[in-house]
Amino acid sequence: MAQTRTANDVAVGSRESFGSKTAGHFKRNRIAWGFGALVLAVGAGLRLYMGMMAFSTGTDYYAPEFQTYWMPLLYGEIIVLTLFTVAVSVYMWMTRETDASKIGPELELSRYWKLLGIFTVMGLWAATVAITSVESDAAWHQVTIRDTDFTPTHIIIFYFSLPFLTAMLIPTFIWAHTRLPAYMNKVSLPFLAVVVGILMIMPNYGFNEWGHTFFYAEELFAAPIHWGFVLLGWSLFFFVPLVVQLFTYMGRSIAQVTALRTRQMV
Amino acid sequence: MSELQLEESRVKEAKEAKAQILDMESLNNPAAMKLYRRLDGILILVLFTFLTLGIQIQFTLTAGDWDYWVDWKDRRWWPLVTPLTLLMPIGAFTYGIWQRVRLPIMATALTTLLCLVAWGSHYLNFYKFTYFPLTFVFPATYIGVGILLDCALVMTRSLVVSAFIGAGLFGALVYPLNWPLIAAYRTAVEFNGTLLSLADLMGYEYIRTTTPEYLRIIESSTLRTFGGSVVPLTAVFAGFVSIVVYAIFLWVGSYVNKLVTFAKRIM
Repeated sequence: MAQTRTANDVAVGSRESFGSKTAGHFKRNRIAWGFGALVLAVGAGLRLYMGMMAFSTGTDYYAPEFQTYWMPLLYGEIIVLTLFTVAVSVYMWMTRETDASKIGPELELSRYWKLLGIFTVMGLWAATVAITSVESDAAWHQVTIRDTDFTPTHIIIFYFSLPFLTAMLIPTFIWAHTRLPAYMNKVSLPFLAVVVGILMIMPNYGFNEWGHTFFYAEELFAAPIHWGFVLLGWSLFFFVPLVVQLFTYMGRSIAQVTALRTRQMV
Repeated sequence: MSELQLEESRVKEAKEAKAQILDMESLNNPAAMKLYRRLDGILILVLFTFLTLGIQIQFTLTAGDWDYWVDWKDRRWWPLVTPLTLLMPIGAFTYGIWQRVRLPIMATALTTLLCLVAWGSHYLNFYKFTYFPLTFVFPATYIGVGILLDCALVMTRSLVVSAFIGAGLFGALVYPLNWPLIAAYRTAVEFNGTLLSLADLMGYEYIRTTTPEYLRIIESSTLRTFGGSVVPLTAVFAGFVSIVVYAIFLWVGSYVNKLVTFAKRIM
């Protein structure tokens, strides 16, 4: 007899795969994991590029080689991230659910797993940025004479690494608030605080870049001009209430779906 | 209260009671428990990876300079600035995790994450990218004082008491905890007729073009540079400051964790 894959199977795993370790989250989130692998590959590529080219071609914005090797990268990052954020956000909004009652418990649970999948990708990206990017700027500034209007490390961190987190968070915020019944027709305040905090780091880049145009020939990384990043980084404090929210709703959803499944099996 | 409101309230209570029975039943359901464990694992991964970025941004932009270079790890500023900045996120996160899930782990978790990310970052950025020797740019460790703070919480079961004991020890013991790592760099050497420490000599030899000597915020060199009671005096002051900072951020955490709510949507 041909087997059919139901929404329930998607949500809690089919009967055969229930005990399999590879089943479930990882198998159901192929798109998230594929996207995650792509994102990490792009991050690794950018880090290698910076390691190879920063000191040889990136110390002087007015030099022709800077215009050849760094400015196209900057323009490309801005275009790609803007298009990505706008296109994905608009798509998420245009394809939103309008009737929460049509979303069954199984589908709801499968959507929670998807949300966790994309959060996992974002988390891995955040850790990668922490290890590879943040202090590359410190190392760079403390050993070069203050360079000119644009800087290789800033081009990677400020115009790709951190904004990409925002580029993933905004569509995810819209997706969650238009697909999950618990989040529909209202706004999760801890989720909003995380998104807004990380988004507001972007105007702080402007403040930081403005500060750097004073052409000081010395750099303290713990300087007051950087403290805005710290203050906005505190938006991550709201991750705890956000996790509590997800825990509460997913816990309830798992109880509901597994009870349904158990009754069906009986 | 009107009849309608009473009826709505009764329906809501009945729904909640039914859901709670469902929750209790699920604890006896192996399939549900398997999914709960998966949920735990993923949420821990997500929370800790974001915390890695959070603690890195916090620490590197407020106390990073003292951690990057061995000649910045002095007796007066480094043991004061470091616990002060670390206890800000530790306080805020400890409140939420302790109040919600009763886990006394955040100080240990955050200091361990910081240790891991700092080693990866210093290796990639200061050693591979800007070619400083690792012996000059190795990060300090704070895991020991993190464990002490969490132990104080688990033994006293009180955020207030642990703030006095745990945070006080956290601030006071940064220097002795790292002494085995930095002791060798405190050896006195004579260089061109000047007495200086081995760490200072390394800073002189490995030039940081944009971090000149006059920018280094460390203990001023005096005749007592190799003696005196600077370490215990700094430890006591750092302990007091740490208690205050930790208490303030526990209070911040209490407000942050009230925000498990929703607002009305405007569109």
